[in-house]
Amino acid sequence: MSFFLKRTLGAGRNLSRAILNTNQYPGLQLVASKADQVQPQVETRPTVAKFDPLQKAHLVDFGKYVAECLPKFVQKVQITAGNELEVLVPTDGVIPVLQFLKDHHNAQFASLVDIGGMDVPSRPYRFEIIYNLLSLRYNARIRVKTYTDELTPIDSACEVFKAANWYEREIWDMYGVFFANHPDLRRILTDYGFEGHPFRKDFPLSGYVEVRYDDEQKRVVVEPLELAQEFRRFELSAPWEQFPNFRGNPVSEDVVDKTDDQPKKE
Amino acid sequence: MSARQAIQVGTKTVKPVLSVTQGEARLRVLSLYKAWYRQIPYIVKDFDIPKSEEQCRAKLKEMFLRNKDVTDIRVIDILVIKGQMELKESVNVWKQKGHIMAYFKPTEEPKPKDFLSKFFSGVE
Amino acid sequence: MGVIKKTTGLVGLAVSPNPHHTLGSLYGKILRTLQKMPEQSVYRKYTEQIVKERAAVLKQTKDVYEIETKINCGQAEELIVQAENELNLARKMLNWKPWEPLVAKPPKGQWDWPPTKS
Repeated sequence: MSFFLKRTLGAGRNLSRAILNTNQYPGLQLVASKADQVQPQVETRPTVAKFDPLQKAHLVDFGKYVAECLPKFVQKVQITAGNELEVLVPTDGVIPVLQFLKDHHNAQFASLVDIGGMDVPSRPYRFEIIYNLLSLRYNARIRVKTYTDELTPIDSACEVFKAANWYEREIWDMYGVFFANHPDLRRILTDYGFEGHPFRKDFPLSGYVEVRYDDEQKRVVVEPLELAQEFRRFELSAPWEQFPNFRGNPVSEDVVDKTDDQPKKE
Repeated sequence: MSARQAIQVGTKTVKPVLSVTQGEARLRVLSLYKAWYRQIPYIVKDFDIPKSEEQCRAKLKEMFLRNKDVTDIRVIDILVIKGQMELKESVNVWKQKGHIMAYFKPTEEPKPKDFLSKFFSGVE
Repeated sequence: MGVIKKTTGLVGLAVSPNPHHTLGSLYGKILRTLQKMPEQSVYRKYTEQIVKERAAVLKQTKDVYEIETKINCGQAEELIVQAENELNLARKMLNWKPWEPLVAKPPKGQWDWPPTKS
């Protein structure tokens, strides 16, 4: 579920950062074409997933393949946490990219595992919508990410994946991102009459209203909540900011990056 | 639909939600209002709420007028979409009596404003 | 083969009576659709490559089992599904025109992680 994803996403990233910070793998930071030449140190800790240079080389190749096939829609391809391929697309590119990944002979990501969301209020487009796909044929996973804000609609992926229906309802309910052409967009988790979108960062932990049973009215009543503090300051920086390795030590590495103004020459 | 076209909001060119012009957005708002208006007798009956149709209509008007200062077409569209969803929830009786009555806020006490009422309610 | 295949073993996927013919016509259709794309389209190049490879296998032999082993991407019925999907995709690609330059650049800092301090 996406609300777990939001939490675990952060946790996963930090885990991978912890791995990176130990600097035990010199190969992890390098471009993958060299990754198969560099032999990383043997990992002895039992809890850490083994780094597989071959798998990574495959991912890099596939990422380049996708970016080459769809130059119109792919802004960036990156590998996060060593073995997670991510395709970053603009809002208009969601349907073509998902359809390509589903139907192309070499991709066949026929299964939509989840759609997740992420809210970063400091960005111009504050929401990220994340599609997790699984290819049963090639035993591979890929992640498609796009961005939006409260008012920009995203085309619904329901025509590509039937599974997207409820996931998109969930995103709509939790983040208030509107999906255009969705067959049945309505709330899925919150109560009828619920106001606000709980996963937005500016949604107070206690909510805006409280619900109780009223003896006089003989029914459940909704009352606005007295917030203990009128003014709330949002602490949006990460709690890991104080660690020296947090910045300047990215979790993700670029495979294809077309976001710069000057296109890079290979 | 005209979703491919872009609309102007302020100085920015953005993707429209549903409506491209102010007039189109206005039409949507009016038709939503009319739809609610027509459903009010059924809502009163179905939910068996202790309110008359007149009171409900007044509440409907009040709730629409609460957003009368919204000018951004996209914000209007999102509000209309949410209104349509709520209408559907009411008409299909997915909501319960308490949800409908929540619009009227019967238990909510008005906030103390002048000195004496503040004094009585114990707020300094 | 002599033995008539009774099931694909996959739910909802019926045994195709004449997979060789179906595949051949589907591959033909895909290639004709790809012809309408511009020459420099990378999607066209790669897809043509895959489909032509498979079509060549089809030409070599009529035996379904041999086709399956040579293409090595599942049973003939699955190959048909894959080809249908690709055809569907190729037709949609004609509208989307993915070979054009990037449609929109992300705003600055959109994909940065950790997010920039504000």
